[in-house]
Amino acid sequence: MAEETMQQPPAANPNEPSANAKKYAWTVPPAKTAILSHRVERVDGPAKVSGAARYTYDINRPGMLWARAIRSPHPHAKIVEIDFSAAKQAPGVRGVLAWKDPGAEVMYQGDVVAAVAADSEDHARDAARLVKITYETLPFSVREASSKDPATPKIFATGNTRPGQATDVGDVAAAFKSAAHVYEATYDTQVITHVCLETHGAVCEWTGDKLTAWVTTQGVHGVRQQLAAALKIPEANVRVICEYMGGGFGSKIAADASVVIPARLALVTGAPVKMMFDRKEEHLDTGNRPSAFSKVRAGVSADGKCVAFEAETWGTGGAGQGAQFPLPYIYQFANRKRAHLDVYINAGNQRPMRAPGHPQGCFATEVLMDELADLVKMDPLEFRLKNLPPTAPDAMWGEYFKIGAKKFGWDKRRATGEGGKGHLRTGMGVSACQWGGGGRAGNAHVDILPDGSVVVKVGTQDIGTGARTVVGIVAADTLGVPLSTVKAQIGDTDLPFAGASGGSTTTAGISPAIRIAAGRAKEALLARLAPSLGGDASKLEIVNGRVQVKGGGKSLTWKAACKLLGQEPISIDNAWEPGLSSVNTSGVQFAEVTVDTETGIVKVDRVLAIQDCGLVIDTLTAESQVYGGVISSINFALFEDRLLDRRTGQMVNPNMEHYLLASIADVPKVEVMLMNMPERGVIGIGEPPTVPTASAIANAVRNATGATLRSLPLHPHRVLAALEAHKAGRKA
Amino acid sequence: MKAFAYVSPTTAKDAIAALKAGGIVRPLAGGQDLLARLKDYVETADTLVNVKQALDATVTPAGGGLKIGAAVTLDALSTNPHVIRMYPALAEAAAKVGSPQIRHQGTVGGNLNQRPRCWYFRQEEFVCFKKGGNRCFSVDGENQHHAIFGNDGPSKIVHSSSLAVPAVAYGARFVVAGPNGEREIPAAEYFTLPTMQNVKKENVLGDDELLTHVILPAPGHIRSGHYEVRFKESRDWPMAFATVVVTMNGANVASARVVLGAVAPTPWRSEAAERALVGKPLTQATAEAAAAAAVEGAKPMSQNAYKIQITKTAVVRAILEAAGKRA
Ligand SMILES: Cc1cc2nc3c(=O)[nH]c(=O)nc-3n(C[C@H](O)[C@H](O)[C@H](O)COP(=O)(O)OP(=O)(O)OC[C@H]3O[C@@H](n4cnc5c(N)ncnc54)[C@H](O)[C@@H]3O)c2cc1C
Ligand code: SF4
Repeated sequence: MAEETMQQPPAANPNEPSANAKKYAWTVPPAKTAILSHRVERVDGPAKVSGAARYTYDINRPGMLWARAIRSPHPHAKIVEIDFSAAKQAPGVRGVLAWKDPGAEVMYQGDVVAAVAADSEDHARDAARLVKITYETLPFSVREASSKDPATPKIFATGNTRPGQATDVGDVAAAFKSAAHVYEATYDTQVITHVCLETHGAVCEWTGDKLTAWVTTQGVHGVRQQLAAALKIPEANVRVICEYMGGGFGSKIAADASVVIPARLALVTGAPVKMMFDRKEEHLDTGNRPSAFSKVRAGVSADGKCVAFEAETWGTGGAGQGAQFPLPYIYQFANRKRAHLDVYINAGNQRPMRAPGHPQGCFATEVLMDELADLVKMDPLEFRLKNLPPTAPDAMWGEYFKIGAKKFGWDKRRATGEGGKGHLRTGMGVSACQWGGGGRAGNAHVDILPDGSVVVKVGTQDIGTGARTVVGIVAADTLGVPLSTVKAQIGDTDLPFAGASGGSTTTAGISPAIRIAAGRAKEALLARLAPSLGGDASKLEIVNGRVQVKGGGKSLTWKAACKLLGQEPISIDNAWEPGLSSVNTSGVQFAEVTVDTETGIVKVDRVLAIQDCGLVIDTLTAESQVYGGVISSINFALFEDRLLDRRTGQMVNPNMEHYLLASIADVPKVEVMLMNMPERGVIGIGEPPTVPTASAIANAVRNATGATLRSLPLHPHRVLAALEAHKAGRKA
Repeated sequence: MKAFAYVSPTTAKDAIAALKAGGIVRPLAGGQDLLARLKDYVETADTLVNVKQALDATVTPAGGGLKIGAAVTLDALSTNPHVIRMYPALAEAAAKVGSPQIRHQGTVGGNLNQRPRCWYFRQEEFVCFKKGGNRCFSVDGENQHHAIFGNDGPSKIVHSSSLAVPAVAYGARFVVAGPNGEREIPAAEYFTLPTMQNVKKENVLGDDELLTHVILPAPGHIRSGHYEVRFKESRDWPMAFATVVVTMNGANVASARVVLGAVAPTPWRSEAAERALVGKPLTQATAEAAAAAAVEGAKPMSQNAYKIQITKTAVVRAILEAAGKRA
């Protein structure tokens, strides 16, 4: 593999900076820029807080109908009959649709069977209840343990489990023999759902054979492709729009039932159709983060080197989806072996969720690291430093641990179990993360119009990260004009293609294209202006919206300059090119908690997050990504838990009441240190910050109380049980 | 939700008359509980009678105590200076409910009469005893939030009203009005343990009656303490809580009321804990002894034994608060 890469000529290296990338290289350091890397408020902030921003939920079309899905109440059953007769007679009903046919099986509670469209949301709901579906119920499993049990009858056509990829590196047996300490423990994390504030849904409207779909999505172009395929119509006939959207976290990448159903019902009824899922549907059928179980054996040398690792892992991604996660995470075990099993249960399928797999692998590894550090009587931070991969621009943990320790006051951390005398114990924990990021799918179109307007068109979408602001900043900074001059157009398949916003790839995918297109546009503009400004375009510059001759002389306001374009604007397209973006980020987080040992309640007091993401485009929105990531991870650590009733297979908490989420008052002080690395180009930051917080919290609880929590969430019942076990000298 | 008729009478008398409209008629106060049940098809109604205009929304002095109208909002209750001074546990219980929005909308009458929060009850699919079915799903299901006391009847709910617990501890009486006039019921007798006969209700109120007032007796020289063990800071339910009301004879407790919340289908008075307090000074040791007595006889289900420790903690901290030693 390595050899093959080396034999390739350098020109074929896709990471070799292109000529344009060299020509339009980022201005660094940020101290030299006008807005790039500064603290810029979201350009659409006022629209969002005033309600002017229109989300899919806000789209209403003349004559629009509402659709409602009918879903299986059973975790596993065969559909015998679907009877729409009563529903068709219900007030306001205009159309019905069978999503599955009799004879087909439903594999989980919430699996879609049919849908209705009616003239109001209430009528659609009432009518949906009148669709009579006869089921033949079938055996089911909603627990990983029972699906793994060979005695359980076969529920899934391909078997109840599927072995994942196994790894075997080095000589594990010998390494364990040589290890001074061998330690065994089992770690597990729960299934959680995405809980997007704006639920999944779409508004679909046909004009002749052309379909316009307003979809709350992370990828307008991908949804167009999939929607066209599902409807068997040309992609050219489909336009997908998503101006604003209320969160996806990985669950809104594909054209799922929430898009295809309204499109088909709109065709059947001849009217625009809107369908928005409710909270229960969201929990049941729009994805989740798989569970992860890790039965681990680890060996360390007397001087604190991790030498051997062996794990049996499993998890469930629902009714037929995988549950892979990286393990061991970040830290180096020279000899390691792992076998993984995907376990199927009768529950909604997983979808990518913010750093898929990483929070799970991070939890098992980071808690283990603290336990191993104790075995060799080392400070957990020292122990980590000893077992990290070598420091590199994309592997900065060692540096960050040291910076963070100082900033956080790690020297005040007490020995584990000595977190205080009374019932309130405090402790500190630490953890690390990594993520790829990067991105290549981005095309930009830049217009400089004779009235001075700048329009930047990129067919990306803003999933809450501030993409519209990023588009504006890159263009404005490159052109030398104020941000307010640039009108960023995004969220529409009529705009140049950009990839789905997943994997922290958006900013790295679009920024290079915008940078080069805007750079070329500027050059074209100056060339056209040169005759009026002394004749030499290379002597011209644009600063703060003024076009001027370098070093003094003639100058024009932006407006006056653009007016000279006459009737022909500047219009430039460019695709992503290598050299202005990169991949791989690293980060570390510290957490301090207070544990009430008489109630088992954990309160997070403060979190410090140190994170890099290459070149920071907007410090403010980048920090927001870290805040959001940390808060999500606190929810993962303490609160969220998809609970399935063991007897009926139904979710008992498909709401936001018993499915707990931090309230504002539960959010601690979060300090963010962004490590700007402009020389690396743009990478992306959406995912990594949500990886390590939960593990840092669990380690802080351990430090405070001496009790090790190997299972999430840290609900009081788990914490009390762990405290009890610790007191009794048992391993929980 | 199923469409319903809506009436908004302006007197208690008219409101009570409206309850007889025929079909399923329900009083609507702040709607924080009822509307959610209707939207989720947990139940349906033919007519809703808005009682917010019809019922008293004031707190007035009465016989040395207070008379609280059923239409008083939880926010008004929690910020009323008389309530804070005379019945601090009640003010605190009201102040901790849900969220600011819920407290501004929710009322005293609605809070005391709210239906269970059992996660099976709250979903249409689960037709349990309380909905005319023939099983309780919590028994062999997910019961981590269910009762550890009084759970040998058909339903294992915990009563969800935060106000009910201090109401019982302070010896409140509820004024109930129906077609045949008014009656007064001690708070402790208002709430009922489930039997096969009464399992569809949580109290003795008739379908044609309204709770109109809560009467709190003159406090005299009581001291009270209230402690709720809450996992989240807001928009959540207490895992267990306790109200303690004592009178003192010098340094020792002369009489005591210890009432536990979120542990049983009714506010759960612990006479054992009360006995452990009487004649003793209010110290950490007495508090712990009373807490141990309070959880004696608890019968946890398969997943809720942790609530015993949490209940003990609530009792200790409520007693220490009554002693003026906040935990
Ligand atoms: C997220 C969340 C958290 C919550 N946390 C708590 C908490 O911690 N503690 C707590 O106690 N509650 C809590 N609640 C419940 C909330 O306090 C109650 O739902 C609210 O107080 C009910 O008051 P309401 O006026 O809105 O009642 P409504 O919904 O109007 O009525 C409730 C019930 O009482 C009946 N009713 C109303 N008024 C009368 C009357 N005068 N006479 C007879 N019957 C009447 C209605 O018919 C209905 O059945 C929470 C609710 C939510 C959603
Ligand atoms: S505890 Fe009560 S409300 Fe809950 S399922 Fe059992 S019977 Fe129904």
